[in-house]
Amino acid sequence: MKKKMVWILSLSLCLLMGCGKGSGSEAGQDGDRELLNVSYDPTREFYTQYNELFCAHWKAEMGQELTVTQSHGGSGSQARSVIEGNEADVVTLALAHDITAIEEAELIDEGWMEEFENDSSPYVSTIVFLVRKGNEKNIQDWDDLVRDDVEIITPNPKTSGGACWNFLAAWAYGQRQNGNDEEATRLFMKKLYQNVLVLDSGARGATNTFVENAQGDVLIAWENEAYLSMREHPDEYEIVAPSISILAQPSVAVVDSNAKMHGMEELAHEYLAYLYCDEAQRLAGENYYRPSNEKILQEFSDQFDLNMNLVSIDDFGGWDEAFKTYFDDGAVFDQIYAE
Amino acid sequence: MEKKMMEETAAYVEMKHINKTFDGFQASRDVSFGVEKGRLASLLGPSGSGKTTILRMIAGLDRPDSGDIFINGARVNDIPGSKREIGFVFQNYALFRYMTVADNIAFGLKVQKKGKAEIKERVEELLELISMEDLKKRYPHQLSGGQRQRVAFARALAPNPQILLLDEPFAAIDAKVRRELRAWLREMIRRVGITSVFVTHDQEEAMEVADTVIVINQGQIEQMGTPEEICGQPQTEFVRAFFDIKRDLWHKK
Amino acid sequence: MTVKANNNYEQDMVGDGLHSLQKVIESHREEEKSVWKYILIGVCVLFLTVMLVIPLAVVIINALKDGWTAYKEAVVDRYTLKALQLTLVVTVLTVLVNTIFGVCASVLLSKFYFWGRQILAALIDIPFSVSPVIAGLLFILTFGNKGWMGGFLQQHNIKIVFAAPGIVLATMFVTFPFVFRELFPVMNAQGKDEEEAAALMRAGGFMIFRKITFPHIKWALLYGIILCTARAMGEFGAVSVVSGHLRGKTNTLPLHVEILYNEFHSTEAFAVSSILVILAVALLILRSFVEWKRK
Repeated sequence: MKKKMVWILSLSLCLLMGCGKGSGSEAGQDGDRELLNVSYDPTREFYTQYNELFCAHWKAEMGQELTVTQSHGGSGSQARSVIEGNEADVVTLALAHDITAIEEAELIDEGWMEEFENDSSPYVSTIVFLVRKGNEKNIQDWDDLVRDDVEIITPNPKTSGGACWNFLAAWAYGQRQNGNDEEATRLFMKKLYQNVLVLDSGARGATNTFVENAQGDVLIAWENEAYLSMREHPDEYEIVAPSISILAQPSVAVVDSNAKMHGMEELAHEYLAYLYCDEAQRLAGENYYRPSNEKILQEFSDQFDLNMNLVSIDDFGGWDEAFKTYFDDGAVFDQIYAE
Repeated sequence: MEKKMMEETAAYVEMKHINKTFDGFQASRDVSFGVEKGRLASLLGPSGSGKTTILRMIAGLDRPDSGDIFINGARVNDIPGSKREIGFVFQNYALFRYMTVADNIAFGLKVQKKGKAEIKERVEELLELISMEDLKKRYPHQLSGGQRQRVAFARALAPNPQILLLDEPFAAIDAKVRRELRAWLREMIRRVGITSVFVTHDQEEAMEVADTVIVINQGQIEQMGTPEEICGQPQTEFVRAFFDIKRDLWHKK
Repeated sequence: MTVKANNNYEQDMVGDGLHSLQKVIESHREEEKSVWKYILIGVCVLFLTVMLVIPLAVVIINALKDGWTAYKEAVVDRYTLKALQLTLVVTVLTVLVNTIFGVCASVLLSKFYFWGRQILAALIDIPFSVSPVIAGLLFILTFGNKGWMGGFLQQHNIKIVFAAPGIVLATMFVTFPFVFRELFPVMNAQGKDEEEAAALMRAGGFMIFRKITFPHIKWALLYGIILCTARAMGEFGAVSVVSGHLRGKTNTLPLHVEILYNEFHSTEAFAVSSILVILAVALLILRSFVEWKRK
């Protein structure tokens, strides 16, 4: 009796598994197709909407049903997972450097950055402060963050793309204030990170810590995250734009080897290209990402502070340089944080 | 029944020049003896003398390093214990605790795939032999020590083995019941007529129950013979000392 | 005689006195024992309330915060159901494999003597001491593209990590020892005698297992299976590392809860959590029943 039960159970399991596993971005049939988009933390809401938009577009154009599967996590972790075998057709990550890592693993062909406009950044953002309503601690700029009575929430640059942008924005301020004195800037950064209460592994994690768990006085965040939090919790928070910040450019790319394997090259390319169309750009704006399309950006002039003083990654010599200097093992961040 | 000296008849169970070492410790040293068919022999010796080792080798539970074992004229060294048709009564009976008395006794027959009717008949027969008909639905934990021993005995006999081996069958019984049980066992074995070897460290027990006593010490046979011979004519210093206390008792019989 | 009587009287007095004193001390001890008993009960109840009852209550309350409809919607949402399906499939597979393994390992280590027995028993315990995250990493390092089996797997287009098989493997790893740990002490204590007796009567290995070993370990086995199930359902760390977080595909229920929470859908997150809570409570009840039956 018991043996029979065991057999029946295992058989039905195999069936279940078969049904469950039968999918995966497979090539071939016209009919249902699947695209895997591996993205970073804060883009969940945006891509839920964009995927609907794109699938409708693809159906209209090609007559094919399409499902887009999303995966979200810290940008660095996501890049690593793609390198280790997560079969993404496209990656839409937080910074170019993470995509370069995948390129170095020979999954993306050279020259990916030129494949799409604006260095393959269909939308951009910047770094701002999110504070609680009333801004009791009167946090206005970066130098307020190093006060003794201020507790900061920011994610860890070792795992979070957003955190890298945070770091560089802070560094830019430090440099400007201290007249390019490296030592003084380091000291400033050290004090800043000493005030960090919780170092989450991802941007969304940090947002949750600040918003849901009510920790800390200020969240250094992607601008879009900050706006999202304000929308979810109206009247509880304020955004403070610092005197200097950085143009944060999340990049996108087709993962060529996976797309080829799944026979999805055309689809994947179109998926990313469509991000630049007016509708998609507006969608980005509605989700608090600054559209790269100048004209559309103007439509959101009352939403975004378009006059922010922004440096860019080029001021740091590009991502390869910046990563090596600041975020590599034993580089500046490690040195600052270790002490 | 007269107790004769060991004759040169073809012994039913025979050990020839058996040696066995466990991890550097020699448990059996050139052991040779024979037990006649239908006889009840006792392997007697102090703890650690190697008597249980010999029993287990006859049963096939352990293999000798050298030497031969014969059962009914056939060399059985390479035959696994389960095929030697041995009935074994363990020291702690090893009754199957999740089976009733009847099921315990029937087990050997069930393994041999005998018919239901045949099994039932045999079980009834044995239950009668051990006078436990009304306890056949009991479980081992519901029985006394003496009762368990009788069930173990019946279970061992059920598949009609050639030889019955008993490992310190009375060790776990309290003194009061022991005497009765000894007499009972001797009677039973006589009645069934099966060649039996049992292991004990109790001199009195060996004397009372066995036809042939084989005295073992430190893996070697000291002396072998009828109880009177052993007691009356001890051939080695050890035997003499071992039986010193008991000699008077025996003579008083 | 009067003197004697006097002496006796005094002795009696002293005797009585001692006796009463003894009684006082004893009753004092009884009281003390009662006091200690109540203190212990108090501590246990407090601990359970804080660590168990309150968090569970919070989950349920928050799950129903937005009303019953919202709760239902969250629970029957497509992604939730897929996550539930994956969790159940993974759990059943894991429990099946680990049960078979646990039984085999217990039989081997308790009934047979061989060199390295102790080492094997210790090895089986490794998942207990390894953090689940490390376990997940182990699988990435082994089956990932850059892992030492990566090349082989890629060639044959076999997907292990970032797909369901990886999740099953990771869950199996962390719940490995559970069934074994329950069975082994029981089988070890049982000893070999009964099996030896049966073997001497020519019973084959499987018959011995079925008729002699199994009835003895029935309840311990069931208990081990329940523990294994509970652990497998709730596993997060190891699965999180190997999952790839593909919505609708490689998210188990615990992972799905995390995602919902990260999307600012905390009510939904609690609603889905309540599914896990219900499953856990069901298992608890089953476990109590099994324990009761054991006696």
